[in-house]
Amino acid sequence: MATVTAGVSRPQASPVLSVRGGIAGTLRSELTKIRSVRSTYWTMILLVLAGVGWAIADCAGEAAHWAQTAPLDKANFDATQSSVVGLALIGQLMIVMLGAIVMTSEYGTGMMRTSLSVMPRRGVLYCVKAAVLTAVMLGVSLVTSFASFFVGQYLLRSTHETATLSQPGVLTAVLLTACFVTVSGLLAYALGAILRSTAGAISAAFALLFLLPQLARALPSTWYADMVRWLPGGVVVSTITATKAASAVPHMFSAWGEFAVLGGYAAVLLIIGALLFSRRDA
Amino acid sequence: MIEARGLTKRYGSRLAVDDLNFTVRPGMVTGFLGPNGAGKSTTMRLILGLDRPTTGTVTVDGRTHRRAASPMHEVGALLDARAVHGGRSARSHLLCLAQTNGIAARRVDEVLGIVGLSDVARKRSKGFSLGMSQRLGVAAALLGDPQVLMFDEPVNGLDPEGILWIRTLMRSLAAEGRVVFVSSHLMSEMENTADHLIVVGKGRLVADCSMAEFIARGSGTAVVVETPAPEVLARAVTGAGGSVTSEGSEGSEGWRLRVHGLSEAEVGAVAFAAGVPLHHLAAARVSLEQAFMELTADSVEYHAALPVA
Repeated sequence: MATVTAGVSRPQASPVLSVRGGIAGTLRSELTKIRSVRSTYWTMILLVLAGVGWAIADCAGEAAHWAQTAPLDKANFDATQSSVVGLALIGQLMIVMLGAIVMTSEYGTGMMRTSLSVMPRRGVLYCVKAAVLTAVMLGVSLVTSFASFFVGQYLLRSTHETATLSQPGVLTAVLLTACFVTVSGLLAYALGAILRSTAGAISAAFALLFLLPQLARALPSTWYADMVRWLPGGVVVSTITATKAASAVPHMFSAWGEFAVLGGYAAVLLIIGALLFSRRDA
Repeated sequence: MIEARGLTKRYGSRLAVDDLNFTVRPGMVTGFLGPNGAGKSTTMRLILGLDRPTTGTVTVDGRTHRRAASPMHEVGALLDARAVHGGRSARSHLLCLAQTNGIAARRVDEVLGIVGLSDVARKRSKGFSLGMSQRLGVAAALLGDPQVLMFDEPVNGLDPEGILWIRTLMRSLAAEGRVVFVSSHLMSEMENTADHLIVVGKGRLVADCSMAEFIARGSGTAVVVETPAPEVLARAVTGAGGSVTSEGSEGSEGWRLRVHGLSEAEVGAVAFAAGVPLHHLAAARVSLEQAFMELTADSVEYHAALPVA
């Protein structure tokens, strides 16, 4: 039997938690949390595989069929979009899981009660958690976005239609793709705080990003044309990755505009999530 | 010191905690007793600021936990041993808790040693037995070297060795001058551990007294005797200032009586003086469990509809 020596070795530090100290400590804590579970690694690995894998498949395919491609299609070919649109499209699926799980796994396991009793300042916990998640997601998304771009351009070299970062709109598309994926993850984080269930949050995020834009297609075409630019997902991925007029989608805002629309949805949900997180019984 | 004043919590139409007033003092183990659904866990959640009281307040050292300057140093709690992310190792779990309050990693290894989990520190807690999970929960509660410790049903699912360990731990924490507040729905668990009892039923305070008082209240000073001459003995006992109630059954050797207000020795002397033969003479020990059941009988949330054969 273990001997009881709880009081023998008291820690020297019984630090008083200032607001700044609370934020710094919670930052370290949330970093430890996100690094010490496997779900972070497998969702991030899937994100990289999805982004780079799409770039490989799409760009290698284009290069292989380049000889048979019609001249007009060659002229309209968007090498940037081909390499990064996969990250925007499939990466969203992966990132939504991470964003939701970071919040909902604490509810699912009951860990949230422990987290809130050691860090009762709920606003700090909510914001710091979101910040750490954003840093991880943005870091991985940026690396994946650039990797997808360069891998894609390498595979397209035989076509002589490759893009470079110095061409107009290309760097914006590569950066915006990473930011778009990251904001989708934050949207799922907010849904996680609101719904407190992994399945619920992921389903809601999919409904918002994939199902809703698909359902909108059933609308009369004039309504659809008016509405589609206000939806958070769907064809938005084409808009933000397009670097040529021909590869853009009609009826949409600019790439930045569509990014702002998604950001708007995410911001509203994040605020609702924050209010519920700090007011609800845990 | 934990102080509840008019503490009330309502979930929808259900009143989980109803106007509780109590003080939990340092230097002793305070048992928090009540049948299932009496509001014990809710009260603990209110103390930790996880739920907000509907009305009333509960403070730790004069402050609500949400305003604690150093939350882990003020309160350490074990509410639910299974409430950890199973994919995280024991050490990572404790480390992420410690970091929020600026507690050094050294202390994490120290508490792992205290609870005897050093060997499995890097194992994922998913594979832990309930006993190991309880120890991990205790480790988390001890991390901040807190002045107030709360344990919700800590011996549930523990083997006898684990029960002894946690009892010894609670006693030594109290001996160090800390507040130790431990809930249970079994009186027997408290018998050897608690110095003070707060008993609740249906969210209401039923008793708030020392263990000694509770024992005295429960067992009284009844003495059970068996005699073939009950009327004579009853007269003699009444004459000596005691009172008699019949146990209602005729024993093999005579009538069984219960004498109140006299000690065993006094009953023996009275019977001798009156020339009444006694076949049996013993102090009636009402078990604490029985006293507790009587006390909370009206407030049990879920009665069995049919008597169990």
